[in-house]
Amino acid sequence: MDFTGVVVLLASFVILLFLGIPIAFVIGISTLLTMLVSIDGGAALTTIAQRMATGLDSFALLAIPFFILAGQLMNSGGIARRLVDFGKTLVGMLPGGLAYVNVIAAMLMGAISGSAVAAASAIGGFMGPQMKKEGYKEEFSAAVNITSSTTGLLIPPSNILIVYSLASGGVSIAALFLAGYIPGLLVGLSIMFVAGYHAFRNKYKVSDRVPLKEAVAKFLDAIPSLFLIILVMGGIIMGIFTATEAAAVAVLYTLVLSVMIYREIGWSDLPSVLLKSTSTTAIVMLLIATSMSMSWVMSYENIPQNVSNALITLSDNPFVILIIINIILLSVGAFLDMTPAVLIFTPIFLPVVMELGMDPVHFGIIMVLNLSVGLCTPPVGTLLFVGCGIANVSIVKVIKPLLPIFAAMVISLMLVTFFPWISLYLPRLFGF
Amino acid sequence: MEKLKLVIDKYLSWLLIATMAIMVVNVLWQVFSRFFLETPSSVTEELARYLLMWIGLTGGAYAYSQGLHLALDLLTEKLRGRRKAYSGILIHSLIGAFTAGAFIYGGARLVYITLVLDQTSAALQIPMGYVYMAIPVSGMLIVFYSLYYIRENLANVDAPPEHQRDSSDIQVE
Repeated sequence: MDFTGVVVLLASFVILLFLGIPIAFVIGISTLLTMLVSIDGGAALTTIAQRMATGLDSFALLAIPFFILAGQLMNSGGIARRLVDFGKTLVGMLPGGLAYVNVIAAMLMGAISGSAVAAASAIGGFMGPQMKKEGYKEEFSAAVNITSSTTGLLIPPSNILIVYSLASGGVSIAALFLAGYIPGLLVGLSIMFVAGYHAFRNKYKVSDRVPLKEAVAKFLDAIPSLFLIILVMGGIIMGIFTATEAAAVAVLYTLVLSVMIYREIGWSDLPSVLLKSTSTTAIVMLLIATSMSMSWVMSYENIPQNVSNALITLSDNPFVILIIINIILLSVGAFLDMTPAVLIFTPIFLPVVMELGMDPVHFGIIMVLNLSVGLCTPPVGTLLFVGCGIANVSIVKVIKPLLPIFAAMVISLMLVTFFPWISLYLPRLFGF
Repeated sequence: MEKLKLVIDKYLSWLLIATMAIMVVNVLWQVFSRFFLETPSSVTEELARYLLMWIGLTGGAYAYSQGLHLALDLLTEKLRGRRKAYSGILIHSLIGAFTAGAFIYGGARLVYITLVLDQTSAALQIPMGYVYMAIPVSGMLIVFYSLYYIRENLANVDAPPEHQRDSSDIQVE
């Protein structure tokens, strides 16, 4: 067998990545170099262009810019503040309550905007100072904030699950969205468990109970935000509209809410909000475009087949193979951001696990949960950087309180990997 | 060249803002027409997909102009002075060369082939070549920006350290 193509792809990818070239271009250039091993130059260049065009030609992908835009519209601070206040009335009076509030607000924020980075910066900005005032260690608060915002990647709507749906060749987005709820909740609860233990050991003081009248007021204030969850997910689950249409409706709803009702954003702010969402969208789209040409060259070089064969010769035990895949993804996630990692590794690993009889919906959830650990770890962790920046603590200091939470996340990952019903119960219930 | 970049940035950003707004209205119209007008619109879905292709590719050029694309700067972020400039020249030359090949040459060939074969879209009946034009157009923008950044880094090679500019700090508007 000829491995020249594989070697060129892997070597050029790693070298270009460490040179500091933007990942979308790293993917494109290493794809081109690999193609040149066996295909003539003109044809290779045209193939890349053609794969980029067809890769982006998808109505499902359109949900991504809309969810990003809806998230931007809600990200003005008003929504995060209301969710934090709402969370406080629920769990603020428990020992370690503020840490729970952070986790719950992050889960709700994930269910509304779906952006983990937005959740980390918005909620961390509110919770950090309050937790400090009540005697929480800053690095501990930052660690809770960083990790709890990953729940938004699993709890729908989730843009990364849409990317996975595309990379896997069309797994139902509605099924993936439903599958994310319980694992997202599981991760949130596991972080709360660690935080609660930490609060108990350090004897953090307990906040006062919120008076009932105030609690009701906070709840009423949060209702318009919380209703978006019902509007979007209810609409998708009941088949009233597709994920893309739901996302467009979410844009309209958040626009009315934040401009006309909460009045957090003025009409004149809209162009800059639109431009920011467009840039964020384009970053993802360019990654998708070049990844589509890479997945073409990977199947041209039979890479998924070879990886599959290699893994199966390593062991015929599905348990061992899943552990190996998880370890590979955890190490990849430490260096690579989530979107490129999903785009590159889905076509490689999905055929392997499907041969083991795994549901592609289940694997998507494993992949996102696994890679979300990587977002919180050095050397490259988007959430780690954002969360430390917001809390103004050094990365080195945050590592210690992060370690037990990582352990909890990895245990959740193992549970989700080996108990398929955690992911598949809800999709099955709704007939997917 | 600096002035030209600012002008292109400005027009490009307004174009992107308008396209994004049209995209939202278009899909909302799709939902509305299906629920309330009994005659579901057939062109909205196709239009939305093609707008996304344009916004993704030309927006990708804009994001490059603003230095927003994700990169692993683990090794390069500590570089200063001359070394930083050399690394910048290498990075932007590779981007420019790849884009000239795949986006401009490959994209133009794709446009040419689909125009010659007379492929038109199913609902809107527009030639697919026009839709695919997004690739070479985006390519030309990216190549322009890469030349801009190469030129900037070349200036930094000889500049004394205190006059250094950091390309990642450039903010437009």
